[in-house]
Amino acid sequence: MQYALLIHASAQDTERAARPIPDALAARLGQPDVAGWTRLHADESATTLRNDDGRTLLTDGPFIDSKEYLAGLILIEADNLDGALATARELLEQTRPGTAIEVRPVLDGRARGA
Amino acid sequence: MALDAVFREHWGRVLATLAGVLGDIELAEDAAAEAFAIAAERWPRDGEPANPVGWLVTTARNRAIDQLRRRQALAAKTALLARDLATGPQPPEARMDDAAEIPDERLELIFACCHPALALETQVALTLRTLGGLSTDEIALAFLVPFETMSKRLTRAKHKIRDAAIPFAVPPDHQLPDRLAAVLTVVYLIFNQGWGGGAVDLAAEAIQLGRALADLMPDEPEVPALLALMLLHDARKAARVRDGQVVPLDDQDRALWDERQIDEGRALLRRAMAGNRTGPYLLQAAIADLYLHEPRDWRQIAALYQTLAAQTGSPIVEMNRAVAVAEINGPEAGLAILDRLDLDHYRYFHSTRADLLRRAGRPDEAWRAYRRALDLAQTEPEQRFLRGRLAETAPPASIPPGRASPS
Repeated sequence: MQYALLIHASAQDTERAARPIPDALAARLGQPDVAGWTRLHADESATTLRNDDGRTLLTDGPFIDSKEYLAGLILIEADNLDGALATARELLEQTRPGTAIEVRPVLDGRARGA
Repeated sequence: MALDAVFREHWGRVLATLAGVLGDIELAEDAAAEAFAIAAERWPRDGEPANPVGWLVTTARNRAIDQLRRRQALAAKTALLARDLATGPQPPEARMDDAAEIPDERLELIFACCHPALALETQVALTLRTLGGLSTDEIALAFLVPFETMSKRLTRAKHKIRDAAIPFAVPPDHQLPDRLAAVLTVVYLIFNQGWGGGAVDLAAEAIQLGRALADLMPDEPEVPALLALMLLHDARKAARVRDGQVVPLDDQDRALWDERQIDEGRALLRRAMAGNRTGPYLLQAAIADLYLHEPRDWRQIAALYQTLAAQTGSPIVEMNRAVAVAEINGPEAGLAILDRLDLDHYRYFHSTRADLLRRAGRPDEAWRAYRRALDLAQTEPEQRFLRGRLAETAPPASIPPGRASPS
């Protein structure tokens, strides 16, 4: 089945866009168990739309304001949570201190288009 | 056999087999509960089947198949079940031949329940529910949380295991030491929770889990060691409280100790020692055994505590070592160790310190320490004991009026 790894970066880390992906990380992302990945711009670029009883509310900023922000998404294949955690651990080793990875199973086991 | 005894004996195994096949504890529980209900109705009338576990598993699996058919979610399930789904439910009697070979999958289930992706309190509750067969009511009562809270916690955990595909498997060798340690932690937590003397006998549950583990993992020395530790402690249960008051080890009536349980604990301890590895449970079991001998070998006890403290880094172990050192070199030597520890929040720290202060001829400080221990005491028998000690110790002259008597 597939798991989404949600990468959370520290808000202090504002230079991400200018920084190339480290070689080791790029190599890991090229392996076959990685079904897709993307990097996201920081919180300040976010706009949130919320369904408030049928009315659309638009707010400036991320839905959840916190010290860390959602910085990227990696879609991986794994047999079970242990496999997904092992991959997430490998990826985390290639990141900067303060980074966190949240592991979420993909509903129905597979992402569309991946 | 009475039906609740049947339930107690077989629930864990039946549930484990179903959970392994279905990958879904909630579905497995519903189906198992239905199977036990059917057994309750039929067995008294038709007699108990030759293979009760096989009967229960097959019946429960049939119920699960019905349930899955109703949900129209057949495709995602395992090949084994898919085959059953194709042929439809079978009468339990049709399975009697291969039912004898139904593997015991409780180990796989307990490793799923004690997975590090679940919070520790959740691991404990889920293990009691699935392996122990305790009701949500009983678990809520044992942990002093509202039923709703416990029910939500269990449901969330079962859904997470299913949705995140937490594996029902014994971990591979490189993960086994950490994962087994987590399982043993859960069992020992359950055992210690049972000590306060609640409405649910969690110590007995923990011992039962320990027995199952010792059967299933005979080659891991820490497994029989934990069972030995629990048995040696539990053997003194009847002697530990008299007239609603805690009785210290040396004042206990040895006739009330369960000799059979002590023998069993010692046999397990010997078995664990043959393994040539000294894990924390082996050390604790060896210490528990030494405490039962008269006269007590304090030097050996202190040495084992020292090894254990080095392994665990636990200040509570250091505290216990201080007691042994006080027996060898006098109370001041023990107090010197206690003074280095940061255990102000721990109730037994203050009662231990109070005892050494009393024996060192420092009654004012002893009184204050007993007073602090009483403030932190959680059970009625402990409070009674501490009130007694406080009454025997003269209060310091400087205590303001009105504070002199314990509330």
